[in-house]
Amino acid sequence: MIKKTALLLAVLLAINTIPAPAFSQSIEKSLTPKQILDKVDDLWRGESSYGKINMTITTEHWSRSLTLEAWSKGKDRSLIKILSPKKEKGTATLRYGNNIWNYLPKVKRVIKLPSSMMASAWMGSHFTNDDLVKESRMADDYTFTITFDGEKNRKKIVEVTCIPNPEAAVVWGKVVVIVDRVTYLPLTINYYDEDMNLARIMTFMDVGPLGGKDRPRRMSIVPADNSDESTTVHYSELEFNPDISDALFSIRSLQK
Amino acid sequence: MTIFRYAWRNLWRNKQRTIITIAAISLNTAILIISYALMDGMIKHTVNNMTNMVVGEAQIHGKGYRDDRSFYKSLPNPEQLIQSAGNQNIGAAPRSYGYGLISVGTKSAGAMFWGINPDIEMNVFDLPKQIQHGQYLSIEAEKGLVLGKKLTRSLNAGVGSEIIVVVQAADGSLGNDLYTVTGILKTAGDSIDRSMAIMHKDDFRDLFVSGGRIHEIALNTKGKLETCELAERMRPDEGEGELRTWRELLPMLSDMVNIFDVVIWIFGAIFFLAAGLGVMNTMLMATYERIREFGIQKALGTSPLRIVGNMAAEAFVLSLFSAVLGTFFGLIGSYYLQEVGIDTSMFAGTFSFSGIAFDPVWRAVISAQGVIFPVLVMCITCTAASLYPAIIAARLDPVKAIYHV
Repeated sequence: MIKKTALLLAVLLAINTIPAPAFSQSIEKSLTPKQILDKVDDLWRGESSYGKINMTITTEHWSRSLTLEAWSKGKDRSLIKILSPKKEKGTATLRYGNNIWNYLPKVKRVIKLPSSMMASAWMGSHFTNDDLVKESRMADDYTFTITFDGEKNRKKIVEVTCIPNPEAAVVWGKVVVIVDRVTYLPLTINYYDEDMNLARIMTFMDVGPLGGKDRPRRMSIVPADNSDESTTVHYSELEFNPDISDALFSIRSLQK
Repeated sequence: MTIFRYAWRNLWRNKQRTIITIAAISLNTAILIISYALMDGMIKHTVNNMTNMVVGEAQIHGKGYRDDRSFYKSLPNPEQLIQSAGNQNIGAAPRSYGYGLISVGTKSAGAMFWGINPDIEMNVFDLPKQIQHGQYLSIEAEKGLVLGKKLTRSLNAGVGSEIIVVVQAADGSLGNDLYTVTGILKTAGDSIDRSMAIMHKDDFRDLFVSGGRIHEIALNTKGKLETCELAERMRPDEGEGELRTWRELLPMLSDMVNIFDVVIWIFGAIFFLAAGLGVMNTMLMATYERIREFGIQKALGTSPLRIVGNMAAEAFVLSLFSAVLGTFFGLIGSYYLQEVGIDTSMFAGTFSFSGIAFDPVWRAVISAQGVIFPVLVMCITCTAASLYPAIIAARLDPVKAIYHV
């Protein structure tokens, strides 16, 4: 009986991967907004991960590019190390639960980030420290509805509007997630502040094989009040579920 | 002129009454002059204490800097402004500001970094003297930090503590370095206590990769120049920066000064009223005493207007004489209080306003306005007060008046 069910599941899964329009239609229907959000959330999640990232930051006054190496394990542990530029090589950020520590190789010291600095920029980028720490799933923090389902700019998309739950610790007033209707890969996420003004736009680009699956390999964040500024993240390498020792996520390894 | 001579002679017909009136009016004038000088002194004292501390009498900022405190809105030509201030003997302290993170051991906090020139700050401002522990920055850059009191407490730091500083540098990189606490400031206002971290301008330049950006030039003459004149002389050209006086920089203090001004006028009005009533009383007494005399004058054909004129002239001469006397004593008193002052520490200990310790000696300040105005108003009030008894005298029926006993 069990075997039969397993077989049936395998067949169903196989069908899923066949891009037959007749089938995909019915599958699309079955995806609730929660499933869409979970899909987006799961895109970058594994039991553990390792990646190499190029980060390009452009602001009104300067622009620079960083090469980063990042590890994560479970929901609440991650480590990011700067490989270049030379001046900042070895600078590392460790996140453990809701805490962030930074290691500064120049002074060979570790400092813990105060909670008042959570909303400030991480390494001068348009990501906040809070973006690094946030571990909860969108589906848990928000109430969501599909606000658009159809074709826009000759692309089939689904738009899910998420309103934060009153008790959720979320800084945004509203988040609008736009995903591809066919692949369910995210295209754009618009973040609105508490006054419902567009605060920043996250765009996903360059879909291709990454970490064993097709994923957007490039993301950019543009603040809504200054479209000349941006932070672009480009994954040059991403590996899911590699074997990572717990010891990596310690203050000691931060200093190595 | 005869009218005044006549008035003068009349006044001395009752010496006792006139002397008492003169004493009352001149005392009033003297008190008014002294209290005005003291109030003025208190205002100047308060303003100087506040502006000498750290703010200065005026400040020049880069255009738009005060709106968002953007690191990049610095002054385009600070050297030129500093030089122009130097040529006119105006103290000018250039400052750079930047935000960042400060950390000691496991504690960390946000801080506002002030890149300053210790030599200039020590000469132009009082804050360098407001050190509770340790000492101010040395003239050379030695990676020292002077911290606000509450900031030190929240970091659990003390003099000699090693401090890690992390900032977003001007080129986007992560500026970080180690510093040593050399001094801790006394309480000097909440924002300073909570977040101020003072460092040498050269250390600031290295940390923030700032290329010597100057965000603020604080101007201070320690009261040598009137604020409006200072503003006039130092106001930069369009695009070179924006000048603001302490009235704009410290609106609370400005409001307080305005309230003080109103208080002075209320006190003044009370004194004038008291003096005026005193003169009116004297003149009224003088009128009733001389009813028979007025009756005879009227019977001889003196017009009512002439009688009013005579009485007003009497009052005017009386008040002028008293005012001159009062000014003399008032100036002596004010001068004494200007030179010696009142040591308030015997009554109140050390006085502080919003955390800033004040010089306990309260000194008067003599100004032309503070003398001319009381004298002028005193004369007008007294003369006006004499009009009521004068009109009574002018309207007397001569026959009844002559038989009045």
